[in-house]
Amino acid sequence: MSDKQIEFKSNDFDLVQENIRITDKKLDSKPTTFFKDALRRFRKNKSSVVGAIILAVLTTLAIFVPLLSTSNITDVRSQEKFLAPKLFEAGTGFWDGTRKYTHVTYDPINQVPAVSDKYSAKSLQNAIVSITVDETPSLEDNNSAYSTGGVVMLETDAELDNKDVYLTSKPVSFTDKGKYTVDIIFSDEANVYDHQLGEYCVYLQTGEKEDDRIMIRDFSTDYSPISFDISGALKEKGLSSANARLVFEVRSSASSLQYILIESVVLSGGERAKNLDVLAEVSFTDAASMINNADLNSMAYWSCSGRKGIHNAEIYYCDYVIDTYKLAYGDADPVTYSKTDLDNWIKNGYCTYDPQIGPESFVRLTDDCPIDHVESQTINNKTKKLASITGSGYKYRQFGYKEMPKFLLGTDASGFDLIKRSFAGLRTSLILGICTAAFCFLFGLVWGAISGYFGGNVDLLMERFCEILSGVPWIVIMTLCILHLGNNFLTFFLALCMTGWMSTAARTRTQFYRFKGREYVLASRTLGSSDIRLIFKHILPNSMGTIITSSVLMIPSVIFSEATLAYLNLGLQGQQSFGVMMSTNQQYLSIYPNLVIFPAVIIALMMISFNLFGNGLRDAFNPSLKGSD
Amino acid sequence: MGKYILKRICLAFITTFIILSLTFILIKLLPFQRPIGGDAQQIAYFDKQYNLGYVYRLDHEVDIYGSLLYKSPADHGRSNYYYQVPVLVQYGNWLRNIVTKWDWGYSKTFQPNVSASVIIQSRIWYSIRLNIISVIFSVPLGILLGIWAALKKNSMTDATISTMVMVFIAIPSFVLISFALRIFAYDLNWLPSTWPVDTAPLATRVKGYIIPVFCLSFGSVCYYCRYTRAELCEVMESEYLLLARTKGLTRRQAIVRHALKNAMVPIFPVILSEFIGILGGSMILESLYGIPGIGKLFVLSLNYKDYDILFVDMAIFTTISLLAGVVLDLSYGFIDPRIRMGAKK
Repeated sequence: MSDKQIEFKSNDFDLVQENIRITDKKLDSKPTTFFKDALRRFRKNKSSVVGAIILAVLTTLAIFVPLLSTSNITDVRSQEKFLAPKLFEAGTGFWDGTRKYTHVTYDPINQVPAVSDKYSAKSLQNAIVSITVDETPSLEDNNSAYSTGGVVMLETDAELDNKDVYLTSKPVSFTDKGKYTVDIIFSDEANVYDHQLGEYCVYLQTGEKEDDRIMIRDFSTDYSPISFDISGALKEKGLSSANARLVFEVRSSASSLQYILIESVVLSGGERAKNLDVLAEVSFTDAASMINNADLNSMAYWSCSGRKGIHNAEIYYCDYVIDTYKLAYGDADPVTYSKTDLDNWIKNGYCTYDPQIGPESFVRLTDDCPIDHVESQTINNKTKKLASITGSGYKYRQFGYKEMPKFLLGTDASGFDLIKRSFAGLRTSLILGICTAAFCFLFGLVWGAISGYFGGNVDLLMERFCEILSGVPWIVIMTLCILHLGNNFLTFFLALCMTGWMSTAARTRTQFYRFKGREYVLASRTLGSSDIRLIFKHILPNSMGTIITSSVLMIPSVIFSEATLAYLNLGLQGQQSFGVMMSTNQQYLSIYPNLVIFPAVIIALMMISFNLFGNGLRDAFNPSLKGSD
Repeated sequence: MGKYILKRICLAFITTFIILSLTFILIKLLPFQRPIGGDAQQIAYFDKQYNLGYVYRLDHEVDIYGSLLYKSPADHGRSNYYYQVPVLVQYGNWLRNIVTKWDWGYSKTFQPNVSASVIIQSRIWYSIRLNIISVIFSVPLGILLGIWAALKKNSMTDATISTMVMVFIAIPSFVLISFALRIFAYDLNWLPSTWPVDTAPLATRVKGYIIPVFCLSFGSVCYYCRYTRAELCEVMESEYLLLARTKGLTRRQAIVRHALKNAMVPIFPVILSEFIGILGGSMILESLYGIPGIGKLFVLSLNYKDYDILFVDMAIFTTISLLAGVVLDLSYGFIDPRIRMGAKK
């Protein structure tokens, strides 16, 4: 023990707060509610905020694009189908409403690509931005209306019992004084399709009988050109004139298929020949046009008892870029109007026109004028006055447009604006999703609350019911509902609610089990709170976060379900539907990929941002993270 | 444990029974569809239905059984009249047919007069084969990616993998199929754009598997990856792993011997149930790629309005999904003895 003494004075024992009244003090910090706190934490999560912004943008677009866009998405217009996406003017090369096609058969006569005959050559020529035709033609054996040249391949046919084959012309009259000659050129290309170059003969069949023939070349395998004097042969035979058919005969062989190749047959006559035009018609130098002539009554038709084919026909292919808008909306085919029509237009003030200056003087004044420009005018020879004008109008006027329309993402197979259709479909999906989520939220909450709060037998029964209903795959429930009630909006809503509410109910039930035994609930109960008060005042607010999150995440799953059903041909009818649009566009994936890619990007973006948003929401509402940051 | 398994299986069986019964009745309540084909086929069909107890066959016209379904052409001056049996009686007969003969009905319009089980048998193998292959690819890939991401947690690799997983898990399967077809089949022309026929050369048939397997396993890879990463991250922060390191194990030893084993516990049942669940196949993939599996059958029988086939197909999907649930529950108990599902406190 130390000897040090401690001295205490009386004021050492004064009470510090003896004369001060102690009361509750107001907190210096601002009070916060559960939702405010959640919102604060949500804002800290950058990716969720981005997701929420994208969602807001897409939703706004889904609401306003169908309202503001005037494009047609209800009446099918086949003339407007498959327009390319267009943002800039044509010719800029990017996003300009042009579409490139490669390796398309070229029509050398009209100098346009040989596409469907729906468009006239003139409108195609107008719409083509650039075209490159192959410099060298491809040699092909198939017969097309646009092929030229080649050689005629006369062939025995196994299906026709491999008999001798005759190629016979229409009868032509020859005289001994007409100096008629025939020039035939063969080709001696061997082993075409591994068949054999065969033995053949050429003769003139002058009568019905077997011997009424003038042999030009007897059976041989000589493929050198023939130049034969028909008039001389007639003289020799003592005939002054004959109505003869030119016949090629190929002898068949049992071992293989036989063929000969005829490049050209030219019949000609001297000065005294009367039927030079017939001769020219019967002769051919262009095998393709001879084969293509299928008119049995024409003089140019050659009948054949075997196979008459073409070999090495020349066909040109081209790559071209076409302005789809010009093709659909450009100049209509010109129409001729009489002077009276024109005078009426001028009188009514539709346009002005001065025949002295000509087509350049045409000025269109009002929308009532049916033409946009004059191409030519005709002057009456006698009176030297204007007789008629030929003019054309832009086709877009027929569809009710004031100017050339522009579709940012092109049009689909029905001629509908893709962008408007996508967002209109998205709007339906969102409405469906929000309605379903709201219903499932309410119903699931009540069901889960009752089941979780009361427990025991009530819970057991309710759980068994859920178990059976959730055991049915959603696709089965949806299919059955649609088969019974038709695929309208209400059915979809009903069927999606039937499958959707159980997850909310299960989540609510778990939350109730978690919180109902807590001390604060017990405390409230001992103070005499009713069941309703306990449920809504004490337990529910705590479990609200997770339940809200699951309800929000139901919206993308509804959108997904709707689209999936459309792919199974059970799509929503009577409304614009995103899924139906995507599944119908799917078949054009190989030719017009833009029709699939844009909706696909939208729906993927929607799903991703919903997921981001949902994740952020879950973290924000998670009570265990409260105040941790 | 044994009692629990028995109880769980019995319960699943009863659930399946109730669902199938309801589905059967709902399908039978749909308007009757006439089978296609000539009189001989029609008679064959209706006689079969008569033998199975789904229609009445009478030799005169009556009006107590509702509208006439079919009147056979006169044979020796008399013809048969077929009427529909009331749905609940049909239900009873259906149960009897299944229990005694395992007879699931006949096709009407899709492949007339072919029995449903034959149609299913000819198609189910395509679905099973495809799904097994996709599981074989997706499980190791998903788990490996998940492990990689977890080991490099909070690094660039982890961020990349997690973002990719997040993005790809959100993309719907039909979008994925569209893009895969566009890029690999049409633009690059590497792979066939539809399912090759059975007589195609082997190389083509193998190539034909690539797009469907890719599309089927894509979602699962992302799912497994996310799940594995979450589980492994949790295990890595546990105290017993710290203990393992302090007692002298290297990081690699600790991870391989302790962390991975424990992280796999909750993953394995998921794989098992997915393996069963995926047997159902993907309806969209099968119909878009033209795979003749049971998913495509669903779409076809809907288009043909062949409701008997549709019912059998639905029954398969229902049974598979219920079975997957049971396996998931049971395997938790087997793999992790701490979890006793449904056990009393």
